[in-house]
Amino acid sequence: MNVRKRLIALTPYLLLAPGILWLLVFFVYPSIQMFISSFWSGTLESGFTASPDNWTTYTKALDRYSPQFLRSLVYGGAATIICFLIAYPLAYTIAFRGGRYKNLLLFLVIAPFFTSFLLRTQSWKIILGDDGILFGPLKDIGLLPPEFRVLATPAAVIAGIAYNFLPFMTLPIYVSLEKIDGRLVEAAKDLYAGPWRPGGTIAGGVLGALVGAGLAAALSYDLIIFAVLGTLVGIVVGTFFISQSFLRIVLPLSLPGVFAGSLLTFIPAMGDFVNAEILGNTQTRMIGNVIQSRFLENNDYPTAAALSFILMAAILAMVAIYARVLGTEELTSAR
Amino acid sequence: MNERSPRTIPDITRRRFLQGSSLVGFSAFLAACSTPGTGSAAPSTAASASAPASVEPVASPSSVPQSPSAELNFANWPLYIDTDADDETKHKTLEDFKAKYGTTVKYSEVINDNDEFFGTIQPALQAGQDTGWDLIVLTDWMASRLIRLGWVEQLDLANMPNKVANMQDVYKGVDFDPTDDHHAPWQSGMTGLGFDTVVTGELTSLASLWEANPKWKGKVTFLTEMRDTIGLTLLKLGKDPTQAAQADADTAIAEIQKAIDAGIIRAFTGNEYAEDLVSGNVVLAMAWSGDILVKQAEKETLAWHLPDEGGMLWTDNMLIPKGAQHKYTAELFIDFVYDPPIAAQIAAYVNYVTPVKGAKEAIAKDADPDVAALAESPLIFPADDVLAKVKIFKTLAEADESYFNDKFSAVTGN
Repeated sequence: MNVRKRLIALTPYLLLAPGILWLLVFFVYPSIQMFISSFWSGTLESGFTASPDNWTTYTKALDRYSPQFLRSLVYGGAATIICFLIAYPLAYTIAFRGGRYKNLLLFLVIAPFFTSFLLRTQSWKIILGDDGILFGPLKDIGLLPPEFRVLATPAAVIAGIAYNFLPFMTLPIYVSLEKIDGRLVEAAKDLYAGPWRPGGTIAGGVLGALVGAGLAAALSYDLIIFAVLGTLVGIVVGTFFISQSFLRIVLPLSLPGVFAGSLLTFIPAMGDFVNAEILGNTQTRMIGNVIQSRFLENNDYPTAAALSFILMAAILAMVAIYARVLGTEELTSAR
Repeated sequence: MNERSPRTIPDITRRRFLQGSSLVGFSAFLAACSTPGTGSAAPSTAASASAPASVEPVASPSSVPQSPSAELNFANWPLYIDTDADDETKHKTLEDFKAKYGTTVKYSEVINDNDEFFGTIQPALQAGQDTGWDLIVLTDWMASRLIRLGWVEQLDLANMPNKVANMQDVYKGVDFDPTDDHHAPWQSGMTGLGFDTVVTGELTSLASLWEANPKWKGKVTFLTEMRDTIGLTLLKLGKDPTQAAQADADTAIAEIQKAIDAGIIRAFTGNEYAEDLVSGNVVLAMAWSGDILVKQAEKETLAWHLPDEGGMLWTDNMLIPKGAQHKYTAELFIDFVYDPPIAAQIAAYVNYVTPVKGAKEAIAKDADPDVAALAESPLIFPADDVLAKVKIFKTLAEADESYFNDKFSAVTGN
């Protein structure tokens, strides 16, 4: 009996063991190795030696690469917002209007994952080509000036990231929407929750203006045009699509999905380098590109390791703040 | 109703999709770090006894009898050896080698980038272990680095009479291997101007790359290969890349920055510029001779010119990494491809400059008139006046190399 009890007490640890072992071997150990290498000095040919005095690698790296850090933050953030704007209505439609096509629609969301990440990004080069299938005809009829291009600009990089990470945003939101009990919405309607006017109009306009201006700033496009466009779209959406029951029932209950989705999008987007490499140019390099080139092209392991740690620390800090603001813990306790 | 913790479901999806993302990440990781299978330690005594003794080259001075091994692990760049039109896995040169020596060449097209490949073999070499490769092909400057690090086997020239007799003089006595016994050139190429004649017209000067002409502004690419881009920039400035010093790096970088600031340069690329030239995203590029020759099949209006100011010459070299399992067989293979008919067979397919004397005559005798015509191609067999205009970038000492790389990284956004 005693043995059995002890075994039962041990069960959680035994179940955790493979995961912990995996983390120790493939995360903790390499991280320590990398941390040590960030304190190296020397070259590949003369060999590296570690010394605590080399902490200056960190300040130097931050100093030299702060534009790329900032760019990663802006591109990652913009892509996350775009993903949210596309994913939420998509997930909402699948969850509440999908009917018997739900599974098929979900499958379509993840279908692109069956081909390689690189291949999908590469194919954007064909779609967005200067005289490609999208812009070629528009240029021919004179809607766009001949020198217009999206490839090798921030817009292409952000669009590429948003495209590649869209499912990571859609699926968590879908899951949290899908389990909302429809009777709650019916009950709200019984209690006179109707359209949200003029609140929706005002809130939609303000949010739309902010998002439009933010995206324009990230893409270095015309601020006013984007802000006006954002306001108009926001007003339409706010006036006609946002009801009180959505605002008070559906949206709060779906926030854990939004939280999970935005983390799953933002964290890898910050460190992404494939999109900037394939779709961008010299002026759109992100911190991931720098780390990659420091490691593989310049054999500058200390700087690459230091940059990786700075990136990790920055992401952890941002996630911690985000969790405080929109944390799942508080949401669950509020229920 | 059965209340479930609201966290349960998001967590499951999250885990599921973390799995998905880790798969993506993992495959990228695999792609980045694919290390070759460790070459099976087939003892050389297991070599095919059928190899006729008559083809054995002169015995090495140590006079230890050696015989070819059963296999040879050869890492090369894609599209860099003659390939059967119907079956991509068949290479006549390798079959001929097998017929002669009984050795199966395990040919892998795994090298896409000098630095990247270096990253895959460096840990083994540093630890003094076998890399799994018997023969690798790397560009001059990387070959020079490996030789400098002492990570390359010395060739036993007694085993390679063809190489000694047939290597073109222009390749002899390079500064990183003055005795020519650590490397053997595989193919060479020239870096010059590639452009779409319909859009740009005929161009002959490197100055076009700095010209804010509306026809090509924003549709120009430079190369990520530091020595090509800085080399051509120095030539444009009337400086000599064979004598590049640190001050020249600063001058060249400032010049490149001008073209970036003027919005002329679209991007710095590797091989991708060739695709972009075909699709029209790029109309003028710093380009490698062989690439354009191949792409002319898809777009006839593409042209490659050696600029008036001169161009760069680079060579990819066969090296035997330290500790290779089948060194002797690798030496036999190097010698084999220096046999003019075999060199002609490779050159006719890859369209780059062959380092082998007599290949031109051998190709001219080919039964297929299309192939025989290649003997007249100035890009495969450049005339002496062309070879006089191309420069090999100076072999940089380690400190200079990191200075150049660092400056170049900064200008390319890294």
